[in-house]
Amino acid sequence: MANINSFLDPQSVKSALGDQQYIASDEIATIMYLSQQLGKPLLTEGPAGVGKTELAKAVAGASGRELIRLQCYEGLDETKALYEWEYAKQLLYTQLLRDKLHETLGGAGNLTEAADRLSEEEDVFFSMRFLLQRPLLKAILSDEPTVLLIDEIDRADAEFEAFLLEVLSDFQVSVPELGTLAAIHRPLVVLTSNNTRELSEALKRRCLYLFIGYPSVEQELAVVRLKIPELSPKLARQVVEMVQNLRKMDLRKSPSISETLDWAKALVSLNAKSLDKETMQTTLSVLLKHESDLQRARRWINQPPRSLYDDEDNAQYRNWRN
Amino acid sequence: MEERIIKFISALRAAGVRISLAESADAFSAVDDLGVMDRDAFRLSLRATLVKDASSLPIFEELFPLFFGSSQAPPMMNPSEDLTKEEAEMLAEALRQFKDQLRQMMERLMRGQQLSQEELDQLGELVGLKQADDLRYREWMAKRMEKALRFREVREALQELMELLAEMGMDRERIDQLRQKLAANQQALEEQLRKYAGQRIAENMSESQPEESLEGLLNRPFNTLSGRDLDRLRKEVQRLAAALRTRVALRQKKMKYGQLDAKATIRANLKHGNVPIVIRHKDRQMKPKLVVICDISTSMRPVSEMMLSLIYAMQDQISKTHAFAFIDHLEYISPDLTGSDPRNAVSGVLDRMPPGHYNTDLGYSLKNFSDDFLDTVDRRATFIIVGDGRNNYNDPRLDILRILARRSNRTIWLNPEPPPLWGTGDSDMLKYAPLCDSIFQVGTLAELTKAVDQLLS
Repeated sequence: MANINSFLDPQSVKSALGDQQYIASDEIATIMYLSQQLGKPLLTEGPAGVGKTELAKAVAGASGRELIRLQCYEGLDETKALYEWEYAKQLLYTQLLRDKLHETLGGAGNLTEAADRLSEEEDVFFSMRFLLQRPLLKAILSDEPTVLLIDEIDRADAEFEAFLLEVLSDFQVSVPELGTLAAIHRPLVVLTSNNTRELSEALKRRCLYLFIGYPSVEQELAVVRLKIPELSPKLARQVVEMVQNLRKMDLRKSPSISETLDWAKALVSLNAKSLDKETMQTTLSVLLKHESDLQRARRWINQPPRSLYDDEDNAQYRNWRN
Repeated sequence: MEERIIKFISALRAAGVRISLAESADAFSAVDDLGVMDRDAFRLSLRATLVKDASSLPIFEELFPLFFGSSQAPPMMNPSEDLTKEEAEMLAEALRQFKDQLRQMMERLMRGQQLSQEELDQLGELVGLKQADDLRYREWMAKRMEKALRFREVREALQELMELLAEMGMDRERIDQLRQKLAANQQALEEQLRKYAGQRIAENMSESQPEESLEGLLNRPFNTLSGRDLDRLRKEVQRLAAALRTRVALRQKKMKYGQLDAKATIRANLKHGNVPIVIRHKDRQMKPKLVVICDISTSMRPVSEMMLSLIYAMQDQISKTHAFAFIDHLEYISPDLTGSDPRNAVSGVLDRMPPGHYNTDLGYSLKNFSDDFLDTVDRRATFIIVGDGRNNYNDPRLDILRILARRSNRTIWLNPEPPPLWGTGDSDMLKYAPLCDSIFQVGTLAELTKAVDQLLS
C-alpha cells in the first residue's frame, strides 16, 4: 500500500506514480522528489492538457494524502480561497439560542454583570464551528498531511498571487477573531499554470519549476496503452503518430495528451478497426476544437504526400512522419 | 564543486537568467540532497531550483554541459596500430611528401592524439578567446582555431595522401578504412575545440562584470543607444513590465456599481446588527482599452518597439489593445503581436512596408485609420499616438484627430522630442498638441515606463 514513505528517492516516486497510472519521466519524478524534500511548492508550466493537474492527483494517490484543490479564476479572493464566517448559521444559532441566552443573562443583577456574562460566551459565536473552511485553510488545518493543488494560478489576479505568497512561505494564516493558525502538517503544494500571463518573480522564487511539454511518441504511446488497454496496439500507434503529426502543424490549439486519450476512447467506442479516412473525418472533432484547425487538418488528410497517395491501405499512416 | 556551481550561476546571470540569492541557496540544498554522482539528477536539481522560466531553459541546457560536462575530450582511434609493417612503411613514405606542419598534424591524426591543455590554451590565446564573453561567438571561435590548425589544408592533404597510398599499391579497402578513421579523428578534434571554446567563453561570462549599470541605460535617450544596449534594454523591459503590472493592478479603479454582493454586505454590516447600512457591490475592475498608433520610421523605432513590449507584457491589466503602425500608411499589427515579441512584429511590419526616405505621413495614416478602424475607438478607449509629429510637410489632418479625440476617453501623445523642438522644421506637433489630453516626453525607457504607468491609472 502506498504511503508517504514511498517518496524515498526519485526512483520510488516514479514507481509510486506509475502505480497511480501516471507515467512520470525521470525529470518529473526527480523534481517532484526535490519538492517534497525541500518543502518547496512545485510550479508546473506547460501547454494545456499535458497532465499537470493529473500529476497532482497522482501524487496525492501515491502518497495516500487527501487532495485539496483550489481552482483559480479571475476575481478569486480570500473569502473564496481561505475562509469565511458562516453568517447564516451564526444568525440561526442566535435565534435558536435566544431562550438559553435569556436564562444565562436572566440572573444578572445589573447591566454590567449581564455584559460580563455575555462576553464569556462570545467565543461560541466566533469559533471554528462557524468558520467555513475554504481550500487553503483546509489544507493548513487538516489533521492528515495533504496535497494542495492550486490550479491555473495564472488566471487569478496579481493581488491574489501576492496574498498567496504569505500562505506559501509560512503555511500560516491569521484570522482576526481567532488568531494565527499554523499548519499542523506542511502540505505538498503543486501549482499549475498555462502561462497565459507572466507570474510574479516573487512567486516563482518560492517555487521549484517544472516544465511539462508534449511527450515523445514512445511516452505518449505508453500513456495511451496504459489508460486505454482496449485499443489495439497497432491502432494505438497510428493514433499517437497522427496526433504527433498534427502537433507539427501550425494550429490554434494543438491537441494534447488528454485529447489523444479522448480520441482513442472515441475510436474504441466506435469499434474502429483501423484509422481510415472516413473514421478520421468523423472523429477528428474530438481532437481539434477550432473550426479553422479542423478544416486545415481535413485538407491535410485529404491531400497526403503524393508518394503515399496511391496506397489507400492504412499502412500508409505509418510513414506519415515528416 | 561549490565553486563550480557558483561560477555556473554567475554565467547564467550573465546570459540573462534572473537568479536570486534565495534560489541559489535552494540549488545548494537540492544538490546536497541528491548528490552529484547521478549527472541527470544533478542537472535537474539545478534546473528546477534556478530556472523559473520556460524561455530560459535552452540557455540552461546550453551552459550546463560546458560547466559540468566530462572534461575528457571525445575519444580518438589509433589507426596506425593495426597497420601491417609494410603498410606502415608505405604510410611513412607517403607522409614524407608533405611539408612539416601538415605532416605533424597528419601524424597526430594517425596516432589519434588529442590536443593537450597547453596546446589548447595557446590556440585560444592566438584567436583571442579571452575577449569573447558571449556564446554566440562559440562557433566562430572554434572555426578560427580550426583555421589556425590549418584543418582545411590537412583535409586536402589527407585526400592527397590517400591517393598516394593507392598509387603505392595499398589495398583499396584498407585505404577506405584508414580514411574513415582519420575523418572520425578529425571530427573528434573539432569537437574538442568546440568544447574548449564553449568552456572558455562560459568561464569568461561568469567572470565578466556587468558593464554599465542598467540605471544609466534607463536614463539614456534612445537615439544614443547602441544595438547592444538596446538588447539589454529589451530584457529589462520585461522586468519593468512585471513591476508595473503589479502596481497598476493594485491601483486600478474598481467600478463602484454592479451586482449587490450579499455576503460582503452582511460582513460589512455585522457591526450594525445586520441592518444593511453599508451596501457592498461586486467590484469589477475597470480595465482600460487601448488603441495605439506607432510611428515606426527609423528614428522612432526603438520607442515604438519598447512601448509595444510594455503594453503587451501587461495584457492582463488591459481589456483590449489594438495596435497600428505607420510610416507612409497604416497597418494593423495586433495579429503580429499575439504570441511573438514586439520586435518580430515591428520587423514583420517593416517587411510589408519598407521605410523610404522622408516618407513619414501621419496625416494620410490618420485618414487610413478613420476609414478602416474608426470603430475601435469608443468612449472606453484610450487613444495613444507614439510619434514625433514630423509630417514631411504633408497635410496633418487635424480634423481627423479632432474627431478621434472626441470619440475616445482620452487622447495621449508620446513624443521623444523635447518641447523646444516642437514646431521646428516639418514638425506639426504644436498643431496637434491642443487636441491631446496629455503629452508625455518619452526620450528614455525610464520616461516611457512612467508614461505607461500613468496612462493605465
